[in-house]
Amino acid sequence: MSSTVQAAATGHDDSHDLVPEDKHFGQATGGKIAMWMFIAQDGMSFGGLLFAYGVLRASAADWPVPSDVLGIPLTAAATFLLICSSLTMVFAVEAAKERNQAALVRMLGLTILGGATFLGIQVYEYYHLVHAGIGFSTSTFAGEDLNNLFGTTFYAVTGFHGLHVLSGVIYLICILRGAMAGKYTEGGISWSPVELVGLFWHFVDLVWILVFTFIYLL
Amino acid sequence: MEHPETTSANPHHTAHPVEHQSHRATYVTIFFVLGFLTVLEVFVPEVYSAEWSGTTKMLLLCIMAIIKAGLVGAFFMHLIWESKWLRWIAYMPIYMGFAVIIIMLESVYR
Repeated sequence: MSSTVQAAATGHDDSHDLVPEDKHFGQATGGKIAMWMFIAQDGMSFGGLLFAYGVLRASAADWPVPSDVLGIPLTAAATFLLICSSLTMVFAVEAAKERNQAALVRMLGLTILGGATFLGIQVYEYYHLVHAGIGFSTSTFAGEDLNNLFGTTFYAVTGFHGLHVLSGVIYLICILRGAMAGKYTEGGISWSPVELVGLFWHFVDLVWILVFTFIYLL
Repeated sequence: MEHPETTSANPHHTAHPVEHQSHRATYVTIFFVLGFLTVLEVFVPEVYSAEWSGTTKMLLLCIMAIIKAGLVGAFFMHLIWESKWLRWIAYMPIYMGFAVIIIMLESVYR
């Protein structure tokens, strides 16, 4: 049920909860503007890491073909899983805006499950890579020495992203607790925190799309 | 493109509750496009694995990654429906992405 229909049905006018129109930012809340600023600076952090990866790779005389060492099909499946969790996240935001608490809790739960599974796949991948000889500072694979920076850059970039996924999952669990208490389906702009966690989660997905291409496929 | 819920020509318009407009169909379409591009990405390195086709492989993968990232930003993160100023905040780190692509080109042509 939409907020308008719900408001009409209950006689509750939630218009006082809406954010006033701003000349520059429309009806974006302060939290939303702050989240976008955080995302922009965090994006630059990832950009710096990927740029350093590119410089080290370009200047290396011998750099292994990533697809020879890394498991592309498994990581592609993890990438698809993260995309699926982005879809459930936008559905969660829609559910919050429509004051559908059951759907909100269900979609947040699925998003958390997707993120946790992604982390599980990453731990599984790390475990196998370390046992294959690719450490953080030394790299060997199938009995051959690899450029040590391969492992260093791989773990630095994917580990930094993995920490973001972990933060996102914890953030989502906090939001899920509020959703179960009905905090984000009260009307007005009570859904705003769900939108904010959604922005962070989509950012994590967006960055992985680039990391997957630059680190695994190229 | 502006979201009917977040912008209004009339400043007094915000005094009334605004009907929420669902974008579920758009989200599902974007999801399938992202899934399709991910499958394509996996096969590109296999098709263009020869030494001479390194540039083609790199360009195709970079273009697909940019399209995928753009779709997530535009639709899932609602940038297409946001105000111009909020979009500019989001555009700030893009130059880093171009720098990475250029440095990767360097590694191909080296």
